[in-house]
Parts: sequence; structure tokens; C-alpha cells
Amino acid sequence: MAAAMTGRGVAFIRNISGLLHSRLQVLAGGPQQLSCLHTSSSLEAKTWERRNRKMYPPQLPDEPRRPAEIHHSRRQIKYSKDKMWYLAKMIRGMSIDQAIAQLEFNDKKGAKIMKEVLLEAQEMAVKNHNVEYKSNLYVAESNSSKGKYLKRIRYHGRGMFGIMDKVYCHYFVKLVEGSPPKTEKKTSFDQAKEYVQNLKNRTIIHSL
Amino acid sequence: MAMPMRRTLAALHRATCSTLKSGEASLDVRHPVPLFLPVRTKKRYFIPPAVGLKEKKRGNTEAKAQAAGIVFRQQYIERPINIACTAGIFDPYIPPEGDARLSTLSKEGLKQRTEQIKQSAASQLAIRKIKEHDSHFTSKNFAEQAQEIFIEAHNALTQFNKEKLHSLVTERCYPEMTRGNRYKTIHWRFIESLEPPKVVHARCPDMVSKGNLYGQVTVRMHSKQTLAIYDRFGRLMLGSEEQPKDVLEYLVIERHLVNPYSQWRLHGKIVPSWAPAKDPIIKTVMIPGPELKPGQEFDALNYQVPKPEAVQWNK
Repeated sequence: MAAAMTGRGVAFIRNISGLLHSRLQVLAGGPQQLSCLHTSSSLEAKTWERRNRKMYPPQLPDEPRRPAEIHHSRRQIKYSKDKMWYLAKMIRGMSIDQAIAQLEFNDKKGAKIMKEVLLEAQEMAVKNHNVEYKSNLYVAESNSSKGKYLKRIRYHGRGMFGIMDKVYCHYFVKLVEGSPPKTEKKTSFDQAKEYVQNLKNRTIIHSL
Repeated sequence: MAMPMRRTLAALHRATCSTLKSGEASLDVRHPVPLFLPVRTKKRYFIPPAVGLKEKKRGNTEAKAQAAGIVFRQQYIERPINIACTAGIFDPYIPPEGDARLSTLSKEGLKQRTEQIKQSAASQLAIRKIKEHDSHFTSKNFAEQAQEIFIEAHNALTQFNKEKLHSLVTERCYPEMTRGNRYKTIHWRFIESLEPPKVVHARCPDMVSKGNLYGQVTVRMHSKQTLAIYDRFGRLMLGSEEQPKDVLEYLVIERHLVNPYSQWRLHGKIVPSWAPAKDPIIKTVMIPGPELKPGQEFDALNYQVPKPEAVQWNK
């Protein structure tokens, strides 16, 4: 037991000396080796807001008029990203007036915040992005994502504890000028017909 | 138990000494490496850092930062003042009514032409003062130079060439020219000049101290230009590419005379009170309506949109 311990101890010490060696080497040739780490942390990259700065070249008079796109977001909302997702999914594809009306009469906490974001985005569109009619917008994309969480301790019995997350979320919305695109609604009868057709199309391949 | 432990510790000591020696040989740097490294098992529970925050709030963070050696640079509560140009147009030129409406051949037109250059003694005095500092100054040459500065400045604006624009346009005029234009495309063309440009007005105000002279010269030019502004998405906002417009402008060009390296730069434009209204932008805009008392109704049929006052203003 003692001999085994010393053997492990010596190996361990050799390991440490190796580490010291490598540490000294790293100190010597630092910056060249560290350039392989990827520099932009995803926490500071605000790509959604940067999409508002994209410029298009002037259109020729015979081209169809390009619809204006406005990206807007709000960061670190004190709400759960999963609960926010339900509201975001609800307003996808609605016109902006309809979306604002739906959110105004929704009982959730996130609905009030989302309505503020939509109104801000509408004002921005008219002021800065040369949108003519403020009602002529529809929600093209609407998403929620996880913000930076704060961690706290939740005390349980018997000296046990859990880590409680104080949840935050981000909300992103993209408004596009024009009337909302019409999605074809499939009736249940159509879906049933399709299912039966798929069953009928089954064949045995490579058979005689 | 004690014997094997001492042996391992001795081996560790030897190992660290050897690495230190090799390190010294290669780098010639001393690192204070502890001889006895503490060996711990892996921490198997996580306490979030917020637990210790309640004590931290009472502590003096500033004193701790100072003790740690973090130095904050001295914060200067200052506001920068630009002395390369003046803040406005002093004693602005008031263009006579009906300028450029009457042709030169009629009697009134001739009167206007003769009045213009012999306008006032102050302008002549100012021109004399400018000639003291800048010996190559003549009204005829200067008018053409002014037009060239104007054309080059607007070309730089279409390309958004900031450095060139700063050298052709004063710091007061630059934000007025470029505000809101960052995400827009501007196509501007100078087609021809309908009348030769003329110096109509000059003033030499001195700022702050007595000898600090700035020269401001107003040049009148009548020309044909095309302007088309496209927004971020390439849609036409204002004007058209092909249709030229006759433009009568009063440019104010300024120079800091006392500075030998200063340049004559565009300082602003004077818009007279009788100027015709500009073309509206292509999109429809909502104007705020009148303020109504509770119970009052908005009468859309009889409501007249208030027009702005006809006042001369400097652009």
C-alpha cells in the first residue's frame, strides 16, 4: 500500500513538473498561441440590431419595389424564454395591428412587454426606415431566446440546497412592409385524404 | 505513512528545482513557484457567487480597488469647443425680393445688378480686411473658387468621403449636411451654371478676442442640378435622376484669416423668405393635428394645415 502510494505520488509529481514546463513555455510564446481562440464572445455580438444597418443599392425604376424590413429586439426581459415563446409563436404572420390587439388583451406578463416592443418597432419604421403607412407592416419573424441568468440558492430541508436560476429572456421581432402573406389552411378532410393517398402509394420495390 | 510522504515531497522538491533551473537557462526569468503545491479533491458542489454579495455591499469597494492597485484615470469634466469655424452666420445677407426672376435686360433687372455689388460699405471694408491677410483674394476669382468648392463638397457627400468633406466644409456645416444620411444613397449632379457666380456680401467678425478674425463671404449662384435620394432599401425618396432643377443659392464661405494654414470652406446657405417651397418627398406623411379640448370634435373638412412663416433662415 505504501509502495503503491509512493509510486503514484512520484508519477503525480512528474505530471506537475511537466505542467510547470508547459506553463513556462506558454508564458514565453503567448500571443501567437492564443490567436487560435475565437475572439467574439456570443454575449456581446448583437447581430439582430446590426441587420438594421444593411444598405441596398438604388433600385432601377422598372424593378418591383423592395419591401422595407425592420429588426427590433429587447434584451434581458425578466420572463421565461419558454413562456415568451408561446406569445411569439402566436403573433407570427399576423399584421401589426392584429398582433398589437391580441397582445393587449392577453393576460400574460410577456404580452405587455411584447406590445411595447412592437409599438417601438412601428415608430422606428416610420421615422427612420422610410415606411409610408404604419399599418402596412406584418410580423415576419418573432423569436425568444435565453438571456443571462442570475444564480441564487434555494434552501431545502436537511441542509440540502438547490441552485435557483433567475430567468431572463431576449425577444426579437422582424417587421416587413406589406400585407401579411396568406398561408393556405389545410382542412382536416384534406389531411385525411392525403394520408390515405400516402398509404395507397406504398409499393414493394425491387420485387418480381 | 510518514516515510513515503517525505519521499514524495522530496521528489517534488527535486522536480520543481530542476524545472526552475531549466526555465532560468532558457528565459532568464525568476518565477516564485511554491515548493509545496496544495493537492485537493475536485469540488463537487457549486455555490453561486451571489451568496457572498451581502457582505460585499457593506465593504468599501473603492478602497479595495485602490489597495489592489487599480488606478482610474482622472476624469475631466470638459466640453470641447471648436475654434476652426464660427457657430453661425454673422449679419446675414438679405437677398432682395424677386432676385433671378427678372432678366438682366429689363430696367429693373439692371438696377438690381448695379445695386448688388456696391451694396454696402461694410462689405467693401470686409473685403479690404480679407485682402490684408490673403493677398490673392479678388471677388471675381473667389466666386469661381466658391463654386468649385461647392461642387467638390457635394460630390464628396455623394461618396461619403468624410476626410475630403471635412476639408471642404466647416465643422458647423458638416452635421447639417450629413444628418440622417448615413443609411441613404444620394445621387447629385451639377449640370451647368446659368449665371456666373458673384460675391454679394462679406463680413469679418472677430470672435472672443479682438484680433481673431474670421472672414465670411456670401456668393450667389444660379445653376441647374439633379438630385435623387434613395433610402436604405434603394427606393426613391426625393427628386428624380433625369429631371434637372434651376437652383438659386446663396452660399456662405468662411475662413479663419489669422491662421495661415486655413482654407476657404463652405459654412452654410441662406434661404430667403421669398423662396418657393421645395418639392415634397414621395411618401405621405402624417402631420400632428390641432390640440382638442375634451368634448371638442375634429372638423376635417374646414381644417386648414398651418403653413410655416416666411422667414429667412440659415441652412
